[in-house]
Amino acid sequence: MITLPNECYCIVFNNLRHNYKNLFSCALVNRQWCRIIIPILWSEPGHNFKDKRLIRTILLTLNAEEQALLIPFNICLPSHPKPLFEYASYITSVTNDLCYGIGSWLPYGDNKNWLSCERLYIRRNLENIIKCSLIAMFLRASKNLKYLYLDEIICNQVIFENLYKNTTVTSVDLYLTYSISDDFKSKAIDGLE
Amino acid sequence: MDNGTSNSASENETITLKSCDGIEFHIDARIANRYTLLNNWNGGESACIPNVNGKVLEKVLEWCEHHINDPQLNCGDDDSRRRNTIIEEWDENFLSCDQDMLFEIILAANYLEIKPLLDLGCKTVANMMKSKSPEEIRSAFNIDNDYTPEEEEQFRKENEWAEDY
Repeated sequence: MITLPNECYCIVFNNLRHNYKNLFSCALVNRQWCRIIIPILWSEPGHNFKDKRLIRTILLTLNAEEQALLIPFNICLPSHPKPLFEYASYITSVTNDLCYGIGSWLPYGDNKNWLSCERLYIRRNLENIIKCSLIAMFLRASKNLKYLYLDEIICNQVIFENLYKNTTVTSVDLYLTYSISDDFKSKAIDGLE
Repeated sequence: MDNGTSNSASENETITLKSCDGIEFHIDARIANRYTLLNNWNGGESACIPNVNGKVLEKVLEWCEHHINDPQLNCGDDDSRRRNTIIEEWDENFLSCDQDMLFEIILAANYLEIKPLLDLGCKTVANMMKSKSPEEIRSAFNIDNDYTPEEEEQFRKENEWAEDY
């Protein structure tokens, strides 16, 4: 029985790049294929950032500093053994779908149909805090991060510091709601240089 | 024959290649022009292409001959070319051989740096995996499952977002 070298399998699986279901099945074939596929499967999750199961997995990859950002807010992080791979290190693009995913991962309290303005406000806050922590983690962990969606609300010192340190990002989408954001803009642009 | 001026090879010019099991092929010099590595073994008498046997080399050269007038793509086109999994009818028939031969063609194309044929072969293998379960793929490619049950369960849990799309 003839087998192919990994470099050829890599070309094979790249043909299935956005066919997540197929890649999932192929990765379950054996460990050798799995190691080739994981970087391809996780490079561009795209609309799958909306999936709370994906959010759950990437929350497992936060380091102590990123987890510490969440401690004051009593956010209950998933408990699980150490992930099999450094999934976040393969991600090349983080889209705004991440916000929806975090929203769907966060549990609704006892009554999901009743959301007062105040509760909605608290919830938005929690979503933003988690988003901060995840984006700080992507900037630290991803070896090939190229595209990043940022908005004013989530930008804090840790994110700017990590953006300064990052050398791979070539494109940042800034979603700005206020006109007084020159400082933010220049900080983000400096981060790219 | 002067390899140095091979860029100007005309239609009637031929070169000789020999497979690792000693079978000689006289091919249009323009083929060797397109795929530089083939030129390295031009000259027949003593030079053999290692690792590629006559049966496989014949298939590879048949493909090269059919595609002799294809436009040559730049490296930058790689991604779009790879992601398009549609295969032309002639190529599909050409590669509807047994799996060992398909893999041998891919190995030879990889070794001889014939990128379009390598991509085509890999695309064919990718199409064979489409819409199949892990068990079906294992049996199609004769592969053993070496996951422990715990590992498999953990993998499923961490990647289950990908399972539905």
